[in-house]
Amino acid sequence: MTKVQLKGVRKDFGAFTAIENIDLEIASGELVALLGPSGCGKTTTLRMISGLEVPSFGSILFDDKDVSEVPVQDRNVGMVFQRYALFPHMSVEKNVAFGLKVRGTPRPEIEERLQEILDVVQLNEFRHRFPAQLSGGQMQRVAIARTLITKPSVLMMDEPLANLDTKLRGEMRRFIRALQKRLGITTIFVTHDQVEAMELADRVAVIFEGHLAQYDAPDALYQRPNSIKIADFMGATNIFNAKVDASGQAQTSFTTLKLGPDEIGQGSRNASVILRSEVIDLLLTAEEAPADNTFAGVVTAREFFGATVNYSVTCGEEKIIVTEQSRRLVEIGQQVWLNIQPDRIWLIPEAA
Amino acid sequence: MRRRKATSALNTRLSPFQKIYLLLFAGFILGPFIPLIIQSFAFRWAWPDLLPSTWWLEQREKSMLPLAWDYVLSPYSRMLEATINTVFIGLVVTVICLAICLPAARVLARENFRGKPAFEFFLSMPLIVPEAAIGIALLMIFIRLGLAGSYIGIIIAHLIPTIPYMIRMLTAVYQGLGRDFEEQAMILGANRWQVLRLVTLPMLIPGVVAGALFTFLVSTNIFLLTFFLGQGKIITLPTLLFSKIAGGTLDASAAGITLLVTVPGIILLLVTERFIKEEAFGKGFGN
Repeated sequence: MTKVQLKGVRKDFGAFTAIENIDLEIASGELVALLGPSGCGKTTTLRMISGLEVPSFGSILFDDKDVSEVPVQDRNVGMVFQRYALFPHMSVEKNVAFGLKVRGTPRPEIEERLQEILDVVQLNEFRHRFPAQLSGGQMQRVAIARTLITKPSVLMMDEPLANLDTKLRGEMRRFIRALQKRLGITTIFVTHDQVEAMELADRVAVIFEGHLAQYDAPDALYQRPNSIKIADFMGATNIFNAKVDASGQAQTSFTTLKLGPDEIGQGSRNASVILRSEVIDLLLTAEEAPADNTFAGVVTAREFFGATVNYSVTCGEEKIIVTEQSRRLVEIGQQVWLNIQPDRIWLIPEAA
Repeated sequence: MRRRKATSALNTRLSPFQKIYLLLFAGFILGPFIPLIIQSFAFRWAWPDLLPSTWWLEQREKSMLPLAWDYVLSPYSRMLEATINTVFIGLVVTVICLAICLPAARVLARENFRGKPAFEFFLSMPLIVPEAAIGIALLMIFIRLGLAGSYIGIIIAHLIPTIPYMIRMLTAVYQGLGRDFEEQAMILGANRWQVLRLVTLPMLIPGVVAGALFTFLVSTNIFLLTFFLGQGKIITLPTLLFSKIAGGTLDASAAGITLLVTVPGIILLLVTERFIKEEAFGKGFGN
């Protein structure tokens, strides 16, 4: 159980600045994702926490102790690489026992802990195989076991689900989640995929261009991003400019939307409204629609995904994407009415 | 109606053309040895006879062994001395070459520094400059230093043409290795020495064996540098052979020596081939 803190951390590689300035606090036992596009500095951040890189400025603290300069071997962290980095010339057993062997752990203890961890990751029957003879999921479990056997204070993973196919992804996600909850180990992972971040993490730290852009729980990040850039990165589609007045009304180019009670009485300003595609109701008649926040449009395109279906609805000048469970299919060209509840609309102030 | 017999592009059977090509290929490699073998078993083989006029077998009562082999295997031929020198110099050169090239290849494969392309070009200079030029230049220096005619002198000279090859091979191996494995080992608590011994070296072994084999073979085949710097005091198989054929005649004993000179290389190749092909390595890297 270790609390991890980054204080004013900066990292330069020659003239190139990978991390400008990051402050981050990860609570003991928490599972945190570092999310960002490639080249944003998230991997560098992870490497600094692990000790593979030393920060140019600032400090990294484990349980309030400064470990910035502690060499990687003595930091007692665990890291699972994206491509697992299993030693190809060692069997599963030797790979897993590596960390204990180099620490000079007595043989009976190695044997005991090896057995224990192989049971946890359910790889006992594969213990004499070589990495080349394992599937992707098995290789990842070996990599996790090899890391956990050393009882690291912090577990780090680089893109843990990226190399797995869809079916295995779900399985590994549940496996990692369950293991992490059971051991209560502080876990940090890096990903460029917002779905992976949301499905796995307690909290997500979004990093853009070497800055921490937002640090929040997955649902907050998804529903209430603090900038258009984050909204865009989290996959928001319907973002429109609006004039907000003091009475809590947002004037857009296609309609006037009534906002939730929090937005009333804050003065008039320019802002962006986000209408999440899955919270918009698509109605075929005007009669069944509530009076507020209903506006008309025409379906101009349809994308069928199996469980869900996306409609492009043209309202005035704008195109709005609506996602529905595919219980029915609305034809292209159909006149429809869209409705959104006031408290589901999220505003981003202009300046952001 | 019968289906036409399927012919696939990736047929495992060779076409007649491919067979002829392979035979020609083997012929070019093995062909030159045939007269050598015949020569070494001849008693008298004078021009313009296509085959020896008198075989050793017909004159058995005059000598126990074929004349060539009788001489080659006797102490007068200095074969044993030359073989020991050749193998000893080859081994020492290989070890020193590895010690120099492993760290150098690591840096060349992983780091970027100013002037790296120029440095890489510089490394291949010994392959471009004629050996005779290097040899004469070195001889002038080594005579002053008192290294001419010594083992040290010859070993240093042999390092010059072998280092460029070795660095090239090891750089390629290091590029294929990736940093991940070493970093992973460090995170798991291994110190530098453990990383090298348990992870880096075992993973480099196929490349190291190939590089070492190549270095050894190059070293055992160097004639000119050994000839200049050995000053006749140190003889190796190539210099011994050259002294035999320098007169312009190819006699039976020269043929015998030539055959023996090829033996160490062939033995070494057979031994190391298993190493390079080891299954666990061949499979492990791809993933």
